[in-house]
Amino acid sequence: MVMSFFRKPDESGLAHIDAQVQRMIIDARHTFDLAMNALTGGPVATVADEVRRTDRQINLTEIKIRRELVVHASVHGGVDTPEVLVFMNMVKDLERIGDYNKNIFDLADDGVSMAEAPDLDLLIDYRDELSSRIALMGELLTTRDEDRARAYIDRGDELRREFDGRIQALLHSTETAMVAVPRALLYRFLKRVTAHSLNVVSGVVMPVDRLDYFDEDEDTRV
Amino acid sequence: MTDTPTTRTSEGGLSTPVRAVIVLALLYLFLTGVELLGGGFKYLGKDLVDGLFEGVSNPLGGFFVGLLATILVQSSSVSTSVIVGLVASGVVGVDEAVPMVMGANVGTTVTAVIVSLAHIRHAQEFRRAFAAATVHDFFNILAVAVFLPIEIATGFLSKTAGWITDQVIGTSGATFQSPLKQAVKMPAGWVRDRLTGLGAHDDLLGGLLIGIGVACIFVALAFITKNMRLLVADRVEVAINRALGAGSGMVAILLGAVITISVQSSSITTSVLVPLAASGVLTLENIYPVTLGANVGTTVTALLAALATGSPAAVTVAIVHTLFNLSGIAVFYPVKALRNVPIRLARGLADIAYDRRSMAVGYTLGMFVVVPLLGVLILR
Repeated sequence: MVMSFFRKPDESGLAHIDAQVQRMIIDARHTFDLAMNALTGGPVATVADEVRRTDRQINLTEIKIRRELVVHASVHGGVDTPEVLVFMNMVKDLERIGDYNKNIFDLADDGVSMAEAPDLDLLIDYRDELSSRIALMGELLTTRDEDRARAYIDRGDELRREFDGRIQALLHSTETAMVAVPRALLYRFLKRVTAHSLNVVSGVVMPVDRLDYFDEDEDTRV
Repeated sequence: MTDTPTTRTSEGGLSTPVRAVIVLALLYLFLTGVELLGGGFKYLGKDLVDGLFEGVSNPLGGFFVGLLATILVQSSSVSTSVIVGLVASGVVGVDEAVPMVMGANVGTTVTAVIVSLAHIRHAQEFRRAFAAATVHDFFNILAVAVFLPIEIATGFLSKTAGWITDQVIGTSGATFQSPLKQAVKMPAGWVRDRLTGLGAHDDLLGGLLIGIGVACIFVALAFITKNMRLLVADRVEVAINRALGAGSGMVAILLGAVITISVQSSSITTSVLVPLAASGVLTLENIYPVTLGANVGTTVTALLAALATGSPAAVTVAIVHTLFNLSGIAVFYPVKALRNVPIRLARGLADIAYDRRSMAVGYTLGMFVVVPLLGVLILR
C-alpha cells in the first residue's frame, strides 16, 4: 500500500468519484427496473433481497463518496469547491431515487399488482421511459452535452406535470381505494424519481446555487 | 465532473516535468542556503557568536530557543536546517543542538492547532479538530519529557547518532567529502566573493551571508512545499482514502512519513488531517499514527541539509532528530496503554475546550507564545 504511493494514480480523486457516481446510477436503474417489473407482472419474492441489497449498496456508496469528497477538499483546498458541492448534492439525489425505487417495490411486496390492470400499457410506457432516462442521466454527466441536458430537463418537466395531473384525477375519481391509492402512490414515487433525476442533470447546466430548483417555479431557472 | 483531469493539470498552470525541475532547482537553492548559513558564522567575531548562543548551553534554554524559532517560521524543516547549519559551522555543539531540535519538534505542531481553531464556531467539529491537532502536541511533549532527561544524563541519542554517523560516513573527523557540498560550493563562493567585492568583511560579511542563507532556506522550502503539494496531491488523496480502509497503524505511520517527505512539511500533512477529523471522516485513532509518521518524515529535510554541509557533527544532529522521533514511537505506540496516553490527553483537553472555547485560545497562546518566550527570557 505504501509503495503504491509512488505509482501514478490511475485516476484523479474526482474522476474516481465520478466513476462511483456512475456505479450508483447503474444500481439505481437496476432497482427501478426490478421494482417496476414486480408491480407490472414480474417476479416479486425472488428479487426482494436483490432490491434491498442494491439499495443498501447505493446508500453505502453515497457515504463513501461523501467521505472521499471531504478528503479531496482537505487535500486540494478550494480549487474544486463547486465540483465538490455539486457531487455532494448529486449523491443525495441518487440515494433518494434508490429510496423511491424501494418504495415502489414495497407496493408490490405488499400485494399490489397491476399486471391485469387496464392501464398496464401506460405503466409499462412510463417504466420504459423512466428507466431509459436514468441511464441517459449517467450519459449526460459523462458527455456534459448542455443541449441534450436541457431537452432532458424539458421532458422531465412534462413528466412531472403528467404525474401531478394523474394524482389530481385520482383524488377526484370514483375508483375504489384498492385501485386509486396504489396508483396515487406510484405516480407520486415516479414524480419524485423524475424530479431527483432532474436535480442530478441540473449539475450539467445550472450554477451551484441554482441546483434543485426543479420543484419550484420555472422562473427560478437560468 | 468528467473534465477533472484537465482541471487538475491546468490548476497549477505547469506540467509535471516542469514542476519537478523547479523543485530540483529549489532544492539546490535550499542546500546553497545551508552552505551560506554555515559559512557566514565563520566570519563572525568569537565574542558576538558566544553572546548570540550563550543561552543554548542550558538544555532547557536550547529547547525553548528551538521551540520559539520554529513557531516564528512555522516550519521545523527550516529551523532544524538552520540548527544543522549552526552545528556545521561549529558555533553550536551537538549536545547543545539536541534540545534545540526537540524544541523544533514541539513547535511544528502550532500550524495544525491554528488550523483547528478555524472550526471554533461549531462545537462538535471543533472538539474533534482540536483533539486531532493537540494529539501531536502531547506526543511531542511526552517524548521530550522522556528523552530529554535521558539524553542529558546518558547522551543516549547523540551517542547512538554519532555511532551511526561513523558507520555511514566512515569518519569521525571534522569534515567528510560530500558530493552535495561540492555541488553547492560554487554558488555559495560566488555570493561570498560578490559581497567581499562590495566591501563587506568580518561581522558584516558573516551577517549578510547568514541573512541570505536563512532567506534561501526559507524561500526554497516554502516553494518546494507548494510545488510538491501540487505534484503529489492526487497521490496523497488516494493514500488517505486507502489508509481509511486499511486500519493498520504501521501502514498509517509509513504513509504519514512518505507524504511528509514528499511535501517536505509535517505541518501540511497534519493540517490536512484536521478538517478530516473535524468532519468525523477520520477518528483520533486514525490520525495519531499518521502524525507520528509525519514527525519522522519531516526529519529528512535536516538530514539532506546535513549531508550538504560535509560536517559529521551536523549529520549526527540530523540523525538525532530522526532517532528521537523513532524512539518516541517505540515508547508511545506499540503498547496500547501508552499509545492511549497522548490520545486521552488530547481528548481531555478538547473536552475542556468544548465547554469553554476560550480555553483553546488560552492553550494556543500559552503553549506557543507565553511559555517559549518566558523560557527563552528566563533561561538565556
